[in-house]
Amino acid sequence: MQIKKRWFWAGAIAVAVGAVPARVGAQNNADVDGGRRLFQGMCAECHGAGGTGGDAPSLNRPRLNHAPDDKALARVIADGIPNTAMPRIRRFTESELNQLVAYVRSVGKMAQDRVPGDAKKGAAIYKNLACSSCHIVAGEGGTLGPDLTDIGTMRGAAYLREAVVDPGASLPKGTLSVLSRGYAEYLPVRIVTRQGREVRGIRVDEDAFTIQVRDAAGRSYSLRKSDIEVLEKQVGKSLMPSFASRVAAPELTDLVAYLVSLRGTEP
Amino acid sequence: MKIVAAVIFAGVLAGGPVFAQVPYDRIVKAESEPANWLTYAGSYKSQRYTQLDQINKQNVSQLKPAWVYQLRAGGVFETSPLVVDGVMYMTEPPSTVTALDVRTGRPLWTWTPKIPDDVIVIGSPPVNRGVAVLDNMVYAGSIAGHLAALDAKTGALRWDVTVDDNKLGYYLTLAPLAIDGKIIVGVSGAENGIRGFVDAYDAKTGKRLWRRHTIPAPGEPGNDTWGKDSWKTGGGSTWLTGSYDPDLKLLYWQTGNPGPDWNGDNRPGDNLYTCSVLALNPDDGTIKWHFQFTPHDTHDWDANETMILFDAPVAGRPRKLLAQANRNGFYYVLDRATGEFVAGKSFVKQTWADGLDAKGRAIAKPGLEPTREGMLVYPSIQGAANWHSPSYSPKTGLFYQTAVEMGTIFYKGEAVYNPLIGFTGGGGRTLNTDDSSSAIRAWEATTGSLKWEFKLLSAGRSSLLSTAGGLVFSGTEEGNFFALDAETGKPLWDTQLGGNIRGIPMSFAVDGKQYVAIAAGFALFVFGLP
Repeated sequence: MQIKKRWFWAGAIAVAVGAVPARVGAQNNADVDGGRRLFQGMCAECHGAGGTGGDAPSLNRPRLNHAPDDKALARVIADGIPNTAMPRIRRFTESELNQLVAYVRSVGKMAQDRVPGDAKKGAAIYKNLACSSCHIVAGEGGTLGPDLTDIGTMRGAAYLREAVVDPGASLPKGTLSVLSRGYAEYLPVRIVTRQGREVRGIRVDEDAFTIQVRDAAGRSYSLRKSDIEVLEKQVGKSLMPSFASRVAAPELTDLVAYLVSLRGTEP
Repeated sequence: MKIVAAVIFAGVLAGGPVFAQVPYDRIVKAESEPANWLTYAGSYKSQRYTQLDQINKQNVSQLKPAWVYQLRAGGVFETSPLVVDGVMYMTEPPSTVTALDVRTGRPLWTWTPKIPDDVIVIGSPPVNRGVAVLDNMVYAGSIAGHLAALDAKTGALRWDVTVDDNKLGYYLTLAPLAIDGKIIVGVSGAENGIRGFVDAYDAKTGKRLWRRHTIPAPGEPGNDTWGKDSWKTGGGSTWLTGSYDPDLKLLYWQTGNPGPDWNGDNRPGDNLYTCSVLALNPDDGTIKWHFQFTPHDTHDWDANETMILFDAPVAGRPRKLLAQANRNGFYYVLDRATGEFVAGKSFVKQTWADGLDAKGRAIAKPGLEPTREGMLVYPSIQGAANWHSPSYSPKTGLFYQTAVEMGTIFYKGEAVYNPLIGFTGGGGRTLNTDDSSSAIRAWEATTGSLKWEFKLLSAGRSSLLSTAGGLVFSGTEEGNFFALDAETGKPLWDTQLGGNIRGIPMSFAVDGKQYVAIAAGFALFVFGLP
């Protein structure tokens, strides 16, 4: 095999060949158990243990937007979802695919944990904390941080809670088309040029010879690495401050409920 | 008036492309005419080195684009062009052959084979890495599993043969190798349960002269390294161009992973001759010697990486050597006359072996095979090296290689033979991009001892060209095309080409001027001095 991608077997097959196996059939407990093991290995890192959501959407809901039926779900697994972080995974045999579909459906049938908290109150907290100075919801807000318009469909409650309390631990992945897939997005960098100028901001793009940065004031920088004395990539940090000390536990729950309620705008 | 016009036309012709025959002898002596690039890796030694030194450390910073050729359709563009007497022969994805006027980049002809809509290409993108030329023909493989011979002047089809059945997963991505009267090819398809082989075809007629399977049949030596019938679907593909020593009369061809890739349960044993190099008699394909890099591979560490032939003293004795930076993370130096192991050293982080023993066999650590739950192993599923070309400079004595530092969580899955969807028995997930990297490394070719490195941002597919001008050219996943000082690794020039660089750099000269060519994104770029 000759190529590369984060999900290798996924990326390896550039030409869809047999496409998705046609029969996605009956499900039983053995399928569900087998599917659970496959899911824990290949899917849980993004979709969370038990499909409760994480970097990627939760799956413990009766209806999945991209997979209304089992055949569509098998296709999503095999083909991925274009322009999202969901890769195509072509390594599964037909029976493994069946197991995985059976498991994901079983998760969807479980009594869904209702997200606690009051989304309305959460909206007010969002406003009071001036989150919109850095984040867009439905076209309104600042641009330093990620657009949150449909964050509720993209991230689980646990992830969103962590993002408020410890933003550096949960930098976005797979939400931007620049940088290329797999890089930490909104990564804070500290740069000192050979002339002694210091630049702090987020990495917008980078290659072997240059780096592009945007600072908190929205100013853009284009720097050649040969002109840089120090290039510090602050992995695990975020320009967003932690709100742990500024939001009490009940308010945090409301805020998360509000974020979970953000499910995009109708076109 | 008519006479005048005819004279003018003749004058134009004399200055324009001249179609010359390329007899075998010219390819043997390719290094003596560096204006041309007559075979995939520059010469039969596969050093991807040019004697041209007009572009050098002093003036490389002045390089400018001479012309750009845009693909007519998109695709992954991994070609290594050939240049013969003013004409460039290159391939466009998936399997189109195009001849360009090297002075202007204008197409002279193009040929596209028939590719069925349901073509099976599993294990790589639908790419093509170049053509071979011999006498007055151009030879190209296709993802449909065919080998075609085209007239070098017009692109007219002379013959077309089915190498093997694409319905069973066989396909071709490599540049064929032309030797004396023969066209040598290998196949891709080890993710599909093929049984790999190297084929030789009569260059004039397309008649198959011999086939050397890379997996022995029952009764042949080595078949006992497979369980039951597993040899029939055991992979061992041969998807990258081999090297050749006309003096020793030995053809060197590399082999890929055993199948199914990540589930080795039904193929106990070393699985000869997968992940190996075979030294073949070019007359009949018989095996003179073999060396296996990764016995019983379960991590997809094909050994198809380009093998460089060079001569150098080892312990005071002149040796004819063969070197390869293997996907498994080790660099190997072999005696190319005998296959004897001369030296070896890891060139990246690797966690699977406690080094190499005295015969060059890796001392594999137990318990690192793929599992249902996942097993983290370095190097990655894509390997520490891959198809991207290394280079060797006889001037510096250094071996140049893009070394990929990455790990993969390897999964074992069910292994059910089905050529329509592949026969892999698992897969893998590579670690995050921020947790991986790559670097161009230069080491002493005889020992593997590191001399310098130049770090790249991400794990790319950076092929290398070294030059007598003291340069190493390469490109990055992010689109940088650049030149390093071949002795120190210091960057001397770079530019941004706007698409990830999967092309393989080469150099040529026309009208007394040196150029460097590289495919990037959906275009072929040619650079020269102003």
